[in-house]
Amino acid sequence: MDLIGFIIICIKVVVVFAATMLAVMGMIYAERRISAFIQHRLGPNRVGPKGLFQPLADGLKFLMKEDIIPAAVNKPLYLLAPAMLLIPALMTFAVIPFGSSLTLFGRQISLQVADINIGVLYILALTSVGVYGIVLAGWSSNSKYPLLGGLRSSAQLISYELAMGLAIVAIVLMTGSLRLNDIVTSQQGHLFSWYVFKQPVAFLIFLIAVYAETNRLPFDLAEAEQELVGGYHTEYSSMKFAMFFMAEYANMITAAALTVTLFFGGWDIPFVDEAAMGNWGALLSGIAFILKTAFFLFLYIWVRWTFPRFRYDQLMNLGWKVMLPLALLNIFITGGILTIIS
Amino acid sequence: MPLIKIDDREIEVEKGITVLQAATAEGIEIPYYCYHPALSIVGSCRMCLVEIEGMPKLQVSCNTSIGELPPERKKDGKYDMIVRTQTEIVKRERENVLEFLLLNHPLDCPVCDQAGECFLQDYSYKYGRAHSRFLEEKRVRKNEYLGSNVIINHNRCIMCTRCVRFTREISGTNELFVQARGDNSKISIFEDKSLDNLLAGNVIDICPVGALLSTDYIHKNRFWNLEEKKSICTDCSVGCNILVYSQNNRIFRINARENHSVNGYFICDIGRYGFHRYEDAEKVTSPLIRSDGGFKPISWEGALKEIYEQFSRSKDGEKHQIVGIASPFHTNESLFMFGRLMDNIFKDKSIIGKLPFIEDYEIHFDSGFRISKDRSPNRQGLLDFCLNLEDEILQKVKTGKVRLCYALDDGVDRKLDEEWESFFKSQRFLVVQTYAMTPLAKLAHLILPGPSPMEREGTMTNDQGRIQWLKPSVSLTNKTRPDWEIIMEFMNTVGKRELKYSSVNEVNLEMGERFPSYRGMTFFKIGYQGLPKKNIATSRPSEGGQAGNTVT
Amino acid sequence: MATVVKSYEPTFRDKLYIPALFQGLMLTFKHMFKKKVTIQYPDEKHVPPEGYRGLHRLNKYPDGRIRCVACEMCAAACPAHCIHIVPEPSPWEEGKERYPVRFDIDLLRCIFCGFCEMACPEKAIELTEIYDFADYSREGLWIDKAGLLEIYELTKTQNYYTVPNDE
Repeated sequence: MDLIGFIIICIKVVVVFAATMLAVMGMIYAERRISAFIQHRLGPNRVGPKGLFQPLADGLKFLMKEDIIPAAVNKPLYLLAPAMLLIPALMTFAVIPFGSSLTLFGRQISLQVADINIGVLYILALTSVGVYGIVLAGWSSNSKYPLLGGLRSSAQLISYELAMGLAIVAIVLMTGSLRLNDIVTSQQGHLFSWYVFKQPVAFLIFLIAVYAETNRLPFDLAEAEQELVGGYHTEYSSMKFAMFFMAEYANMITAAALTVTLFFGGWDIPFVDEAAMGNWGALLSGIAFILKTAFFLFLYIWVRWTFPRFRYDQLMNLGWKVMLPLALLNIFITGGILTIIS
Repeated sequence: MPLIKIDDREIEVEKGITVLQAATAEGIEIPYYCYHPALSIVGSCRMCLVEIEGMPKLQVSCNTSIGELPPERKKDGKYDMIVRTQTEIVKRERENVLEFLLLNHPLDCPVCDQAGECFLQDYSYKYGRAHSRFLEEKRVRKNEYLGSNVIINHNRCIMCTRCVRFTREISGTNELFVQARGDNSKISIFEDKSLDNLLAGNVIDICPVGALLSTDYIHKNRFWNLEEKKSICTDCSVGCNILVYSQNNRIFRINARENHSVNGYFICDIGRYGFHRYEDAEKVTSPLIRSDGGFKPISWEGALKEIYEQFSRSKDGEKHQIVGIASPFHTNESLFMFGRLMDNIFKDKSIIGKLPFIEDYEIHFDSGFRISKDRSPNRQGLLDFCLNLEDEILQKVKTGKVRLCYALDDGVDRKLDEEWESFFKSQRFLVVQTYAMTPLAKLAHLILPGPSPMEREGTMTNDQGRIQWLKPSVSLTNKTRPDWEIIMEFMNTVGKRELKYSSVNEVNLEMGERFPSYRGMTFFKIGYQGLPKKNIATSRPSEGGQAGNTVT
Repeated sequence: MATVVKSYEPTFRDKLYIPALFQGLMLTFKHMFKKKVTIQYPDEKHVPPEGYRGLHRLNKYPDGRIRCVACEMCAAACPAHCIHIVPEPSPWEEGKERYPVRFDIDLLRCIFCGFCEMACPEKAIELTEIYDFADYSREGLWIDKAGLLEIYELTKTQNYYTVPNDE
C-alpha cells in the first residue's frame, strides 16, 4: 500500500468515526424529542435552536459530574468495561459500505473503510465481543443488579445471535460471498432485487434479533430500569456512564446500517446506475444510504415508545422456539430453491 | 353512718358532708362553678342542681348536707337520701342555668387565656345547648386592673364570687367585693385598696372562667401548647407544691398544686412569678476558665484536668487546705455527694462551710398559709448531709495556709458582702458550680455549669422535715450537667474513685443506704405528695465503712 | 346461576402478531402529531383555578390592621405543625385585644392541606394561588408575618398570575 492510500484510509476512518459520533448525538436528541412527541410533550427545546444542542449540554454535564468508583469493584475490569462495549460498536462500522466508489485525482476510492472478504463474519465476531463489555460491567461492579443485568444480556445475546447468524446465512447463500460490497452489488437493479423482498422471513428474523442484540426495547432486559434499577451500568457514573450510553446508540447506528446493507440494497438507489454517474453517483448513493439508515434509526425509537418489554421467559421462548426453527427452515427452503434453479 | 344512693350507686358517707362532696369522692360528676373546697359555700351558680327524693324542688348539691334519718323514715327501707343527677329534669335545668350564665358571656374563646382549661367550655359542651336564644345586646364592659398583677374581664365573669370569698377567707385582706345588684353587679375593688397581697395570684387560679387574668401570662400562649410538670417551689423553705407549665424549654406560668400536708390549695406570688429571675440571669452553659481578666469556655475534659492539676498535685511541698462551700439551694443528692467529697476524699485537709443563710421576714396568713423567713429551700438537707458544717468559717480559715475552694453557688439571690468577697478573692484556686454569672461566680477561677432550679432533679427537705420530689420542668441546655454528676466527676478525678451513677435515682438509693433517716425515700415512694423524714439521728458514715456496701 | 365466561380464542391473524404490531406502531405515530400539552413554564405560567391551595397569606382589615387574633387555632389544626405564633396583647386601644407579634410558617413542613384556613375563626389566614416560591435555602422558605401580609397585598385584588390587560 502506498502512502497516499494509507492517508486516504486514515481520512476515511476519521470521517466515519466523526460521523458516527455525530449521529450518536443526533440520536440522543431524536430519541428525546420523538418520545416527547409521542407523549404529547415538547421535549428538550431550550438549548440552542429547537434544543439541538441538548446532547452537547448533556455531554458537558456528564463530564463535570463526579466520577464515583465504588469501593468493592474489581477496578481494572470496571474501568475496562465501558471501553470494551464502545470500541467494538464503533469498529463494526469499518466494513459497511456507505456509498459507491469515488474517483478523485485519478484514484478510485471506495466509500468503505475496509473492504474485507469476510465482512459478515467480522461483524458477527465483533458483536459477540461487544457483549463482553456488558458482562464485565455487570460482574466487576460487585453488585447484584448489575450482575443480573450482565447475565441476562449474555444469555440474550447467545440466543439471538444464532437466529441472526442463520438469517444472514440465507443472504450469503443467495449472494455467494461474505463481502458486504458484493451483497450490495447483488441487490442493484430494480426495487425487487432487494433482499427484503427476496427474503422477507430472513429480514423479520434479522430485524428482531438485531433489536435484541442492541439491547433495545422491547428486549432491553439487561437494563430494565423497573426491575434492575439500571442493570449492568447501575454502579457507573459520569463519563463512564456516558460511554455506555454512547455505545448503545453507536450499536444502534451500526445495526441500522447493517440492516440497510443486507436487506435494503445498501447505498443502492433502485433503477439508477450510480457507477455511471461518477462522483455525483457516489454522493447520491451516500445520501441514499444515510436516509435508509435514518429510517431504521427512527424505527428503533418508534418501536421503543410503542411496545412494552418482554418478560424473560417470553424472550427465551421467542428466541429458541420461534426464531431459531424459523431461520433454519428459511435456510432449507432458500437452499432448496437455489439448488432447483441452478 | 348514713347510707345514700346517688343514681344507682350506694354510698356510705360521713354525717354532715354535702351531696357534692360525696358524689365527687365517689367519682360521680356534678358540674359546679362557685363551690371550692377551701372556701365557704354560697350556692350562687346553681350549676350543681340535683334531684333529691322527697324534696319538692331541685336542690343545690354543694349546700345540701347529708344527715341520718330515723329508721322508720328511711327511703326504700335503708337509704338516708336518694339523689339523682342524670334525670331529664336535672339535665334540662343545667341547660337553663348555663343559658343564664352565658347570657352576657362573649364568644371570645379564641382570645381567652382560659380556653382549654375552662369549665364554661367543658360544661357547655357537655350539658349546654348549642345556640343562644338571647337576641338582645350583650352587656359590654371594659377590662380593669384589680391589682398590679390581676386584670378582670367583666364580660366573662359569671359572678361565682370565688375570688371575693378568697380575699375574705384565705388572704384575709378583703380587697374584692360585689358591686351593685342584678344585671349591673360586678367584681370590684375599693378605690384606695387594690388587690396587691402576696396571695393575689391565686384568684386567677380559682376563677373557673377567663374573667381574672394574670398580667404576667395574658395573651402569652395557649393552654394546650403547654407542658405540665409537677414540681415543688424552691423560693422558701416551705416547699409549696406547684405545677410548672412550659413550652420548648421556656416556662410560661406556675400554678398551685394541691398538697394538704404543705400548702393546701394555694401558693404565694413570690413563688408564682419567681421563675422570671432565672430568665433574666446571665446563664452559664459551659465550663469557663479565667483567662486575661475574663472567662473563656473550655471543655469538660479540660475543666476536670484543671481540677486535677490544682487539687491533686501538691506544689512545692505545700499542704493544701481545702474549703468547701455548701449551699442550701441544692438538692439532698448533691449535698450528699458534696459531703462525701469533702469528708471522705479530702478528709482532714478539708473544711466545709456555708454562706450566711438568706433570710427575710416570715409571713403568716390567718388561714394558716405560711411563707417562711428562710428563703432557701433545703436548709434541713444541708444540715443533714454536711455533718461537719463549720458555722464560723471566716474566722476558722483566716489563719489557714494555701487554700483551694470549691463552692456550690446559691444562685441569683446571693449577694456577697465585702468580708466574704475578700475571703473568696484570697483563695488560690476557686471553683464555683453555678448556673448564672452571680457575684460569687465572677470571682471564680473555674466555673462549672450546673442546672438552674427549674432544671434540677432530686429531693428537698422542707422546714417541717418533709422530703419532696423536685422535678425538672425544663431540660438541661448545652454543656450543663446535673449537680450530683459534676461532684461525682470531681470525686473520680481528685479521689481516683470510679463512681458511675447513671441517674439521680442511684445517688438517691446510695444516700438512703448511708443515712437511715432517708432510707427508702425513693422517688417512687415519696411520689408527688412527699413523705416526712424518719426521725433517726445520724453520724456521718465513713466511705466504704457501711456494712454490705463497699462500692465507692 | 353461574355465568360461563368464554375466553377469547385468538385467531390465526392474532397469532401472527405482525398486524397487531403495526396497529400499535400506527397508533403511536398518529399521536406524534397531536397537540402538545406542555406549558413552557418560565415563559408562560399556569394559572391555577379557584380554590387552589398555594402559598399562605394573612388578611387585613380595610384600615390596615391584621385580622389575626393569634388564637392558634390554625397551629392546633395543622397536621404538619408548621405554624408558629407568638401572641401578645395588641397595641391598639379599641378592637382586638390580642394579635400575633410573630407569625411564622415553615413552608418546607407545610403540606398545603388548607386546614388552617378552615380552622380560622377570623378568616385571617388563607391559601393563595401562588405556587412558585422555591428558594435556595431553608431559611428562605420560612415565611414570617411581614411576608404573609405582603402576599395579601399581592393577591387581594387579582389572581397573581393573570397580568392586567393594560400592560
